[in-house]
Amino acid sequence: MLGRLARVALVARQAPLNRGAQAPALGRLLSTDAPSAPTIRRPDAPVRQQLTDVGKYAAACLPRFVQKVQLTAGDELELLIAPEGVIPVIAFLRDNHMTQFHSLADIAGVDVPARKYRFEIVYNLLSIRYNSRIRVRTYTDELTPIDSICEIFKGANWYEREIWDMFGVMFHDHPDLRRILTDYGFEGHPQRKDFPLSGYVEVRYDDALRRVVVEPLELAQEFRKFDLKTPWEVFPNFRSSEEVPIGNLDSPQGKIEEPKK
Amino acid sequence: MAGVLKKTTGLTGLKVEPRPHKILTALYNRILLSLESAPKEAAYRQHTEALIKRNLEYVLTVKDIGKLEEKLGYQVEESIKLAENELMLARRMAQWKPWLPLETKPSADQWKWPL
Repeated sequence: MLGRLARVALVARQAPLNRGAQAPALGRLLSTDAPSAPTIRRPDAPVRQQLTDVGKYAAACLPRFVQKVQLTAGDELELLIAPEGVIPVIAFLRDNHMTQFHSLADIAGVDVPARKYRFEIVYNLLSIRYNSRIRVRTYTDELTPIDSICEIFKGANWYEREIWDMFGVMFHDHPDLRRILTDYGFEGHPQRKDFPLSGYVEVRYDDALRRVVVEPLELAQEFRKFDLKTPWEVFPNFRSSEEVPIGNLDSPQGKIEEPKK
Repeated sequence: MAGVLKKTTGLTGLKVEPRPHKILTALYNRILLSLESAPKEAAYRQHTEALIKRNLEYVLTVKDIGKLEEKLGYQVEESIKLAENELMLARRMAQWKPWLPLETKPSADQWKWPL
């Protein structure tokens, strides 16, 4: 596998040399003047600079709640905040002139049972005006409710219900916190890491009773533990995230370039 | 009457505002007033104050709506919406006090990944 890749890369590198002569078909196909690096999208330097500025600006304005600012995967801005600052941070990002993240793309949850606060809540925001995205991450545990952002973004209603249903994270002041994806009478929160993959009950149609019955799960096969890890290192260059230093902001104005009309 | 009256903003649900100067001046002044509840060295106050003062000067000096829109970078109706948002935010910020130092430190492994 690796050998074949190396050979293809070699052909690609040699291709410009024998372009003058009769180049082989494969060489012509692969030949470009750019160096033959893997086809990974490279982050754009101006975009990175703009995102860094937005991150610094938000951190400077909200030092009480922002714990860390980082760029992941090259050009994805993340704001890591304390759980009590959810409403101030999201409201600031939406309403401030310089940020204008008017669109809530998604709210997601992450479960890491090894941590003291095992759940992470991830808010994805989009600023249509500045064409940029930001991810706000915070944390909680099973018992501590997080402030609902339904008053800021109406669309957060169902997203938060989904998180409640899948992870069992409570949202404080949510207008209608019910299950949304699971079946009527379902017990448990399926996206938690301690929820078994097969679930607890099985559902089937019973001919004698002439209705659908729900019974405790019976597996015909013994439980087996599979090793599903890939043996290769996947995109090692994009593993780590770089931290944006908080707190030294040079010029107050023009953090994001104002669009030209 | 300077020029033709603007017919539409081109944005759904956003109506043309016949007297934007009056509204914008009032809104900007109210924002500046609300910002005074923040301490002088707070970054939020400094940045927002600078921006709003600049915009207010444009509104006070430029009388033509088209030219004002060019200066502000937005249509006046959009500017009004933005100013309303900022005003709400400035008022709520006074309660949240986000300029205080960091309240809760994260535990050591909270933002570490992979663990």
